[in-house]
Amino acid sequence: MRRSIPTVVVTVIGLILLADFIVANPTLDRVAGAVSEWIMLLAAAAALTGAIALVATHGRALLQRGTDRIGSAVLLLGLALMLIAGFRPGSSGSSDPMTRWLVAALLAPLIASLFALLFFFLLAAIRRGLAIRSRETSLMVVVALAVLVLLLPLGGALGGWLAAAAGWSLSGPIGAVFRGMLIGVAVMGAITAARLLFGVEGTDE
Amino acid sequence: MPNIGDLVGRVIGLVGELIGSSSLRLGIAPTLVILGLLLVLLSLLARPAGRWTPGDRGHLARTGHLMALAAEAGTEAAFSLGTAGVARGTRALDRLQTLAALPILGHVARAAARGGVTLRVTANDPVAVLLAEQTVEQAHRRMGTLERLSESGVTYVGEGRPTAAALALAEQQVWGGAFVAGGLAEEGLLLLHGMADGATATSFGSADVGQAPMLLLEGEGTLVGPELYQTPGDIRSTVQDWTAAFTANRLIWLTVAVLVGASALLLLGVPGIPAFFTGR
Repeated sequence: MRRSIPTVVVTVIGLILLADFIVANPTLDRVAGAVSEWIMLLAAAAALTGAIALVATHGRALLQRGTDRIGSAVLLLGLALMLIAGFRPGSSGSSDPMTRWLVAALLAPLIASLFALLFFFLLAAIRRGLAIRSRETSLMVVVALAVLVLLLPLGGALGGWLAAAAGWSLSGPIGAVFRGMLIGVAVMGAITAARLLFGVEGTDE
Repeated sequence: MPNIGDLVGRVIGLVGELIGSSSLRLGIAPTLVILGLLLVLLSLLARPAGRWTPGDRGHLARTGHLMALAAEAGTEAAFSLGTAGVARGTRALDRLQTLAALPILGHVARAAARGGVTLRVTANDPVAVLLAEQTVEQAHRRMGTLERLSESGVTYVGEGRPTAAALALAEQQVWGGAFVAGGLAEEGLLLLHGMADGATATSFGSADVGQAPMLLLEGEGTLVGPELYQTPGDIRSTVQDWTAAFTANRLIWLTVAVLVGASALLLLGVPGIPAFFTGR
């Protein structure tokens, strides 16, 4: 009984949204719109719950030995800073200049610096890949180098030929592989979604 | 006093009005295709044609052996549900990947419970954390090891895709086994590298096509593209759960046949093929 209630809810809500996708009806449109709003409210509540759980987890970590107390302290400090910037008297919330400054001056550079590491970790990943699957990784590296050469910003006749070859390879073999994978993912995604919708697929056996 | 007949008449009238004021958004053919696929083919007709012996997708068949080695070595196992989440996912396909990863988590959690290995699960979405907690608890319940449930843990790492990747890179822990299953994006390589660093064995899976090379570079066992959705059928014990793989094969052939047939008709000069299939 405990497990059948969520299954019934999933099935009913899913069928309402599916019917709204197929059938144009004002009443059904309103019902589906209301359901979509409930989902957004639930997502907001889940985000709030997650924030509270985060504070509780790292607050507990501050009091325990053997945990990353500095990391937890930095996390809680950052959380407090953003909350103060957004909730202080006179603040306009997420569009407040102080909040936007914190995001632009602290958060965005941190994320950018993290993604700047991608190239170096790609080299490390290639080294690991060569250790795990030397033949397949070697082939991938050769193809990647070939694509790099094709994408070189050269001028003249050579540059034109390289650009044409790059365009052909992206729209031809590379595009075909990605399209094939996307078709497979779409088909399997539809099957998984249908099985979840009708309660055939459990989240765990 | 209103009688039953009046009430039924009003209900029928209301239903009639609703039907009368409705129309099909997509047209008849696409609607029939969607309903036919979802309701008929996937739910009613899909049956396994025979015994299907899968390969060891993602090296998940050796999870039990891995957990036994981890128990001997005293190491823990780590499982990341990707960075797409459920409530925070902007695309339905991203959310679906997280849901498809839960049976894989269940499989790993059962092996960890059986082997007495601590399992650390991470997710960057509160709803995914809740689902993961239920999955881990169910695994311990099935294995009869509820007394060890408190040793394992599901952690909410915070909002944002880069957060999960940064945490994986920052943690300096040797894992007996590292698993990633779910949606990934540009930060995928960082998350996979952080999880794989120092891990005795790895199994990584994502249906994000763009991250396929990263999975192949970093993971020993990999689930690339549709394999993430096929794997729950692999690791389950009943034949009925293999229907997804058979259904997928039939649908893929059907899709290819439709594409080839429609292309041939277009080449022969038959007009209106795209309009027929899209209902426009």
